[in-house]
Amino acid sequence: MSLLLQSLVLGVLLGGLYALLAAGLTLYFGVMRVVMIAHSAFLILAAYLAWWFSTETGLDPLLSLVLTVPLFFGMGVFMQRVLISRLRPATLTMMSVLLTFSIALVIEGMLGFAFSGTQRRIRLDYGGANFEVFGANVAVVKLIAFALAAVSLAALFLLMKKTQFGQALRATIQHPEAARLIGINTDRVAGYGFGLGLATAAVGGTALALDSTFYPSLHWHWIGPLMAIIVVGGLGSIPGAAIAAMVLGMGQSLLQIPLGTTWAQTFFYIALFATLMVRPQGFFGGRLAQRF
Amino acid sequence: MPSASDTTTVTSAATGDTTRRRGSMLLKAVALAVLAAGVLSFPSVAANPFILSVGVVIMSYAVLATSWNFVGGFTGYISLGHAAYSGLGGYATGLLVIHTGINPWLAMVLAGLVVAALAVPIGIASLRVRGASFVIVSIALVLILLLVFQSWGSFTGGSNGLRVPRPFGPEVLRPEQHERFFYLHALLLGVALLVWWLIDRSRFGTGLKAIREDEDKAQALGVPTFTYKLIAFVVSAFFTALGGGLYALWFGFLDPIFQFSILVGSYMVLMSLLGGIRSLFGPFLGAVIVGYAVEYFKNQYGDSQFHLVAMGLLLGLVVLFMPDGIIPAATNLVERFRPQKTSIREVSAADLAEQRRTAGPEAGQADQQARTDDGTDIPSTDTPTDTSVTEGARR
Amino acid sequence: MTATSETAGPSTAAPSTPSLATVELRKSFGGVHAVDGATVTFHHGKVNALIGPNGSGKTTFFNCVTGMIKPDSGSVSYRGADITGKAPHRIARAGVGRSFQLCRIFPRMTVMENMLVAVRSTSLRRQLSSARNPEELDRARGLLARVGIEHLEHSLARDISYGQQKLLELAGVLMADPDTIMLDEPAGGVNPALIDRIANLVRSLNAEGKTFIVVEHNMDLVMSLSDHVVVFDRGRPICEGTPSVVQNDPRVLEAYLGI
Repeated sequence: MSLLLQSLVLGVLLGGLYALLAAGLTLYFGVMRVVMIAHSAFLILAAYLAWWFSTETGLDPLLSLVLTVPLFFGMGVFMQRVLISRLRPATLTMMSVLLTFSIALVIEGMLGFAFSGTQRRIRLDYGGANFEVFGANVAVVKLIAFALAAVSLAALFLLMKKTQFGQALRATIQHPEAARLIGINTDRVAGYGFGLGLATAAVGGTALALDSTFYPSLHWHWIGPLMAIIVVGGLGSIPGAAIAAMVLGMGQSLLQIPLGTTWAQTFFYIALFATLMVRPQGFFGGRLAQRF
Repeated sequence: MPSASDTTTVTSAATGDTTRRRGSMLLKAVALAVLAAGVLSFPSVAANPFILSVGVVIMSYAVLATSWNFVGGFTGYISLGHAAYSGLGGYATGLLVIHTGINPWLAMVLAGLVVAALAVPIGIASLRVRGASFVIVSIALVLILLLVFQSWGSFTGGSNGLRVPRPFGPEVLRPEQHERFFYLHALLLGVALLVWWLIDRSRFGTGLKAIREDEDKAQALGVPTFTYKLIAFVVSAFFTALGGGLYALWFGFLDPIFQFSILVGSYMVLMSLLGGIRSLFGPFLGAVIVGYAVEYFKNQYGDSQFHLVAMGLLLGLVVLFMPDGIIPAATNLVERFRPQKTSIREVSAADLAEQRRTAGPEAGQADQQARTDDGTDIPSTDTPTDTSVTEGARR
Repeated sequence: MTATSETAGPSTAAPSTPSLATVELRKSFGGVHAVDGATVTFHHGKVNALIGPNGSGKTTFFNCVTGMIKPDSGSVSYRGADITGKAPHRIARAGVGRSFQLCRIFPRMTVMENMLVAVRSTSLRRQLSSARNPEELDRARGLLARVGIEHLEHSLARDISYGQQKLLELAGVLMADPDTIMLDEPAGGVNPALIDRIANLVRSLNAEGKTFIVVEHNMDLVMSLSDHVVVFDRGRPICEGTPSVVQNDPRVLEAYLGI
């Protein structure tokens, strides 16, 4: 029983991180119809930067966010404005996949160059601390990671719902032509949308660095589940992605009990295939998803 | 129906055209013969067994890239996970030989059929909606297969790999093995190219290319787009699996890390894209260039992170600056310097739209008028009055 | 055109057999009712026009009818058979051809290849045979000559002028040998001389028995060309009849002027 509860709690904690990262992927897809393969590579890059920051300065890795979030935002804007916008609209979806894929390879290779392929882990004073809730053991770092993801996701949500920029962003996602007609500079908005997406990778990477080991090629283990999440949630829907992330994260965590870690991962892919067979537009996707 | 005068102009144009066409066909036949001779004589000119083995690897890449191009080139759907089918083909061949002891060549073909059958549900899941899902599934498939083949040790050999019995006995020495497999790969490549060519010139191929250009439009013209895409995809998976099976029989050892590798899938994409996905020999050319470069770097610098970076940069550059590939670019260059090739247009539609935007509506109208006049014989005498009428009515 | 004549009395002045017809067709995009309960009948063998102010849902209606978009509710029938929600290629092969707004051709294929895309039969043997069979090439050349661009056969479609692309699109649709041809703004963005040519083509094809459904903004063209006009506003028809009837209807003026 406590094992079940334990997995459930871990599932929620993991689901939070998935939700934040999937929201980022959804943003790229929403503003540009781009499947951003390099998202998880940037995630690992942020984890390395957090690790590097804390080993060099001796400060808490969380403080690296002050640098990585603006840096990633800037890189996102740059990527959209300089690279993605260069592609022909007719072949944008396919060519952007290849372009972001090549960026992922370059990042992986560079990380291997700079930090070698060995596994890295951040040593934290509070790394071993944990506490008990209803008989479930929860590591403090996992809780911090979850809180970080939850706060960022909430901030993103508020930004989308409450601010003028958020409105412009949503308009651009739903109907670019109409948004342009009412005077929204959709190119600029798309750039910022990309920046925001990449900023989620910065936050996610730092959260990841707190309690896991990481290595350059780890991003492949993240991109698959994240892709599955955005398809199940319905491409382009942020709430859909968040819900799917939670459900799948918990499912994975629960399945680890009978199946073990490796086989539990296949759950994402099975969910992906099942969704495409039964409901190809995803479970929360609107009109956007039908055409892609 | 064309009038008498129309027919005469058409035929006179057609005869000039036929001679040109015949000339280019002869040229093509010669080029093809030279290419075939070059490929087939490679084993005899290869300096040593190592070079010959590099040749086999490059031919294997050529088979895989050409197979990839059945779906990538015709429909424009980019699969990053074709390593799934080559890997499955390899494993299915190996496992069939080990567990049933059947003839290895038969096993290879059976493996191809099994993979083609598996590709049907995968294709149904990923091709019903547009590109994005297809790409996602293609990546997911490689990742899931890597997981399964690493974990399912009892059946697949797991991370320790799988030793595949060699089809030729121990009396056939290493260089001889390489030579035989070089020709076998060349044969498979020849078959794949032939099928690609046959599809390219068929109605089915025309439909597929229309899907690549504009899927909605193709469907509106009656092309059953989903079925077409699915068939192209299954054919592609079949040939990719054969390529994987042949490689497995040659190399004799399968490791999931290398079989179900995103990198192998992306090689196929890079090779095809670099050579030109719309050309028959594009993937082959790309395979020779990229395959050679990969083997060279591996030999010089070992299996380092460097070639990930190089691969990524090269792919990025091709996507950004040469998405059509080498062959179309080279053909354009030749066309430009060819004499007496009268171009039918001075300005393209895109240029025209640009001009119209910059020069204002009136100038644009006049410009287009002039354009249509020499293109199609429309009398322009009544233009001024007509313009004012339509302009008024459009308000 | 012969078998169906018994269904309608020849004495009535009203147009006879229905070609395409919709009943209570609806489609909304996130709260915006693009097509809002449209019940429309287009008549066989006639040139039907569909007009209306910008944003009145004409193109969405077109897309629902041709299967490009699935309607939320309502039905579409073609010559009595229900085609609601059928795939576009099935509707196309049932005999409904269409052109697209702003003209869509296959840019990196030659003019002739563009002509050979249309699928009339999916028999395996036919599909695997060479695309360039002489009979089909002759038909394609005939149609290209008919629209007047036969000399461009070998050019890439993206290299010909916009007007020529429009003509190519029309010829490509004709290759499928449809009974009914839906044209989305055939005169949009082309010069007046070419508009005349397109109008003449429509007239002569109509005389050969083809039914037309034309969405158009050019009123002169609509009034001179069509037998029957349907006026759309806010996703549904507000008035229909002969051009002269529609022209004098106060509701039409209201819709256009927004009073």
